[in-house]
Amino acid sequence: MQRRNMMKWLISLPPMLFLLVFFAAPSLIMIVTSFRYPGEFSGLAPLSASDIVSGAPSDLYGLTLETYQFFFSDTLYAEIFLKSFAVATASTLICLLLAYPLALLIARSDKRHRNLMILLVILPFASNFLIRIYAWMIILGPESALNHAVNSLLALMGLPPVMLLFSPFAVLVGMVYVHLPFMILPLYTNLEKHDPVLLDAAQDLGANRWQRFWRVTWPQSLPGVFSGTALVFIPVLGMFAVPDILGGTSDILIGNLIKDQFLGTRDWPFGSTLSIMLMLAVIVTAGLAAWLARPRAAASSTST
Amino acid sequence: MNRSIILYGLIWLLLGLLAGCSQQPAADSNQISRADGVLRLFNWNNYINPKTLRRFEQQCRCQVTQDYYSDNEELLAKLAAGATGYDLLVPTGNAMDTLIRQGALRPLDKTLLPNLKNINESYLNTAFDPGNQYSVPYATTITLIGFNREKMQELDLPTDSWALIFEPIHLQKIRGRVTVLDSQRELMAAALSYLGYSVNDTDPSHWQQAKELIIRAKPYWAAFNNTSYIRELAVGNLWVAHGYSNDMFQAAQDARNSGRSFMVDFVIPREGATLSLDSMVLHHSGRRPDIAHQFINFMLEGENSAELTNLIGSGNPNRAAKEYIRADISSNPVIFPDTAELARLEMLKELDHKQRRLLSRTWTEVKLR
Amino acid sequence: MKHPNFVLWLMAILVYAFLYIPLIVVVVYSFNDSRLNAEWVGFTLDWYGKLFRNEEMLIAARNSLIIAVSASVLATTLGTMAGLAIHRYRLKVLPILAFTPVAMPEILLGVSLLLFFLQVLNMTLGLVSVIIAHTTFSIGFVAIVVRARLQGMDESIFEAARDLGATPWQTFRLVTLPLIMPAIIAGALMSFTLSIDDFVITFFTKGVGEPILPIQIYTMIKIAVTPEVNAVSTLLMLLTLALVMLATRFDKTILHGR
Repeated sequence: MQRRNMMKWLISLPPMLFLLVFFAAPSLIMIVTSFRYPGEFSGLAPLSASDIVSGAPSDLYGLTLETYQFFFSDTLYAEIFLKSFAVATASTLICLLLAYPLALLIARSDKRHRNLMILLVILPFASNFLIRIYAWMIILGPESALNHAVNSLLALMGLPPVMLLFSPFAVLVGMVYVHLPFMILPLYTNLEKHDPVLLDAAQDLGANRWQRFWRVTWPQSLPGVFSGTALVFIPVLGMFAVPDILGGTSDILIGNLIKDQFLGTRDWPFGSTLSIMLMLAVIVTAGLAAWLARPRAAASSTST
Repeated sequence: MNRSIILYGLIWLLLGLLAGCSQQPAADSNQISRADGVLRLFNWNNYINPKTLRRFEQQCRCQVTQDYYSDNEELLAKLAAGATGYDLLVPTGNAMDTLIRQGALRPLDKTLLPNLKNINESYLNTAFDPGNQYSVPYATTITLIGFNREKMQELDLPTDSWALIFEPIHLQKIRGRVTVLDSQRELMAAALSYLGYSVNDTDPSHWQQAKELIIRAKPYWAAFNNTSYIRELAVGNLWVAHGYSNDMFQAAQDARNSGRSFMVDFVIPREGATLSLDSMVLHHSGRRPDIAHQFINFMLEGENSAELTNLIGSGNPNRAAKEYIRADISSNPVIFPDTAELARLEMLKELDHKQRRLLSRTWTEVKLR
Repeated sequence: MKHPNFVLWLMAILVYAFLYIPLIVVVVYSFNDSRLNAEWVGFTLDWYGKLFRNEEMLIAARNSLIIAVSASVLATTLGTMAGLAIHRYRLKVLPILAFTPVAMPEILLGVSLLLFFLQVLNMTLGLVSVIIAHTTFSIGFVAIVVRARLQGMDESIFEAARDLGATPWQTFRLVTLPLIMPAIIAGALMSFTLSIDDFVITFFTKGVGEPILPIQIYTMIKIAVTPEVNAVSTLLMLLTLALVMLATRFDKTILHGR
């Protein structure tokens, strides 16, 4: 037994220590930073220098709730969060719509072809993240064939021309494109396990194709839907590169705001506060997804 | 099983070789420099003539490496985020002010800079660095409006006023063909100028007005953009851009060289604009202040200084450079403004952290709405 | 359901097109003899030539390789340990520590590490800080792959080894390690790819003055878009393509997502 214990420490301690130092500690530091004052010129005010913000009675060891008060002082920042949630929801739904038929098709294909088909999904996802965004700069650009086609179509219908690049549309396309495989893979893993006998039974009982899907396949696939949703929704929530490269004059999301606090405004405390708010939003979302997924998963497993 | 271990080893070997291969050319080029020193320059993108740089490298038998920033805030943020090892920076006045007050700069040894005498006195002794303890003027740019001349004539639009980028009456004719700078300070400065305030006005109610002006004009703008407007103007995709005089100069040159059917022109708006005086300063973390001084003195020579102006069309505070500057540039009143014109220009001052946070909030609102 | 219907096929083909057309466009335009990525002018290899003469790009590629190799060695070692430990013992803290970085938006890890490096370690950002950051988020991925492999295995072989008198170390070296080797290799290749590819965390933890591939690409995209970007992209695609092919040969479990 002692040996077993020694083995346990031997293999769990190194990764544990590494992650405590480089993941847990930094997260704590971020939380502490959100309660500090920004420095006069950049970064942070020294912890003891409470004189920088004179007349702050609640000033305890150079800590303050200032950034949180600022965050909640009006609705602006809440609006940015709402907007990010909206973009994340839209991206997730579009991903789901695109991913489901493909995942279903792959899962129902011949076993020999499945691996190739799923590999074809993973391959583009393995090319560089920025390059995948950049590709859309070319496709949606003002001189591109697509842009010309869309605008001549609009002109035929008597509508004013639009710009595809640097627009909310471009941001959504980019978000969907970058995250689509995250939706396809968990869906496929789930759908692949379905027992075709159930569908046959439903057919024998007189269910049409649509009923078979809604009553049999869809409820069973919900765990896959939820894990895919989490894998798309959460990264989109914090994304700044897509709006940064493809977005127009109104496409700012939480990620961009956080980036700006560190690489533009030099306001570390507020940047940390925003990060913590994002983290809370993620935890709530993930909790919600887990809670939604649990009872249904149980239900579907009892039905099989 | 054994086969997979061998394969595993092979992969790492392969990667190691790859790393080694790509290391080779870099190592070669570094060989000279290791012996004779490297000058590390943190500069604006495209802000030195490569010819000048090569000549300096030959003269000092050293290597110059450059990293770039596209905004003063970016420079400061990167330095705040721990960027070190730079010998020379080229910040604009307000950023330099911050750096001086942070104690991030190294005082100059003027005995090593005999060419300092070449600088026009009106660019010395600025409020940012009285007595030029830390800084030597490098070049000037003006933030203004660049435009497609033929289109403006065709649409009968005024080009000498900020109204062109802020007034919906004008903007509706050029919807989606306008970009403005993605810079909190510069765009606010333009809006404040148009409203008749100083670019350094920090009155929150004036900021409020400026914000409303910007939000009203925003639907007509194609993007916030700091660099690619140069290309887009030259190609003809963009008709109007808020940007820096040297960038507009480049766009004009590109359009002319590629034989476009239109001209790109630029004008200082009559309401006033910001003048940026970029200066060479020594960062305290630099390892080779000796080469840095050598470099500054080298850049102060008229011919070397003129090469930058000839390349990018920046304003030049160096008197000795005048004779080397191309006539079409030195006679351009926008690049070399006269005294009356200069009086309409202001340099941006630094904001304190409260103002910065408020400005960032304003900017967020601008971007959200 | 032996013959999935026509609509399903049509939609699937459209999705595949959506996935591949952008990449094909990037590759095709890398051979385009025009500075603008707008219309096809003619075939050229100039952009590749330019790329190989671009010293900064080569240094960036070298730095990225150094980072990716170091981070994947570290992450594979630590991640394998974590995967084994999580599978074998009822641990509470380690799974949270290992899997949270995988599930969080990357920007949060980037920001917290930036603050940590500067405030606590007071270190100059550079290759080391990026290697640490990449290792931190890759550990979770490796652990997931290794654990998945272990979950599919029959526990009785380990018991059999013990019954036959093998020491824990012998059991590990002669039984466990060979069995999970495919997962370890797949995890290594995965963390290598993740590291080469990562932009967000690199963006926050990199120093200035040491170019790194994704950051160079970002700057090129933001400042001057020329087909040189396409050329880099094409080469990188080839590299990751090869790695993914290798990874899937070793372990089919990564095909089933994380």
